[in-house]
Amino acid sequence: MQKDPEGNETRHLRKFADFQGKRTLEVGCGEGRLTWRYASASSLTVGLDPDRNALRVARIDCPSDLAEKVYFVNSHAEHIPFRKETFDIAVLAWSL
Amino acid sequence: MVHALGEIQRVLVPDGILIDLRPLCDSWLIEVISGRETRQTGHVTDLPLGLEDDEAANQAMRQAEANGWFVREGEEFFPIHYVWDTASDMEKWVDEEWVDFIGLDEDIRRATRSAWAIGDADSRVRVRVKMLITKWRKV
Repeated sequence: MQKDPEGNETRHLRKFADFQGKRTLEVGCGEGRLTWRYASASSLTVGLDPDRNALRVARIDCPSDLAEKVYFVNSHAEHIPFRKETFDIAVLAWSL
Repeated sequence: MVHALGEIQRVLVPDGILIDLRPLCDSWLIEVISGRETRQTGHVTDLPLGLEDDEAANQAMRQAEANGWFVREGEEFFPIHYVWDTASDMEKWVDEEWVDFIGLDEDIRRATRSAWAIGDADSRVRVRVKMLITKWRKV
């Protein structure tokens, strides 16, 4: 199965937010499918998901050039374990 | 959902951006495609749970807006395609992954199998999923 072979999702995501140098929180990152599409531009990316198995896949799949600036956290969106005003951008990725 | 939006509002900087990206139930179109032609074979059936989920998400965002947490700055609908090599692969995916929120009527299944079977050698099956992206700014 191919999902979005035309790249419409990535194109719209980049059109709606400038990730360059931003600290980004992705809520419901799952296995990181969407994360890899903008994380190279962000200065810091945190992927949040309650599914430990999905996060395990995301950590394994994380490209080596992103390893220093992409982190995954096992948590629900109702309790985000960060202090206030930490992120410039939040992405609700198929999770609302 | 509203509590989660409150948490997101808390961890965003002033003027921070929230992007809400999600699919919407909308009787997604099914097509059999090849390099030579595209044949429409029908639409999926939206199930109540999927429609209720969409409405709950919309309601949560309306509530967040009413709470003064975010203001909407932009919104757009766009399609993305899911593409399978065979009709049966598509049916399996729908029956396993999307079973809670969309259905496939038997006549649509038959029409898609038939169009794929008599189609070109490079025929594949795709579903056009309606997407919504909304940009919100923290107040």
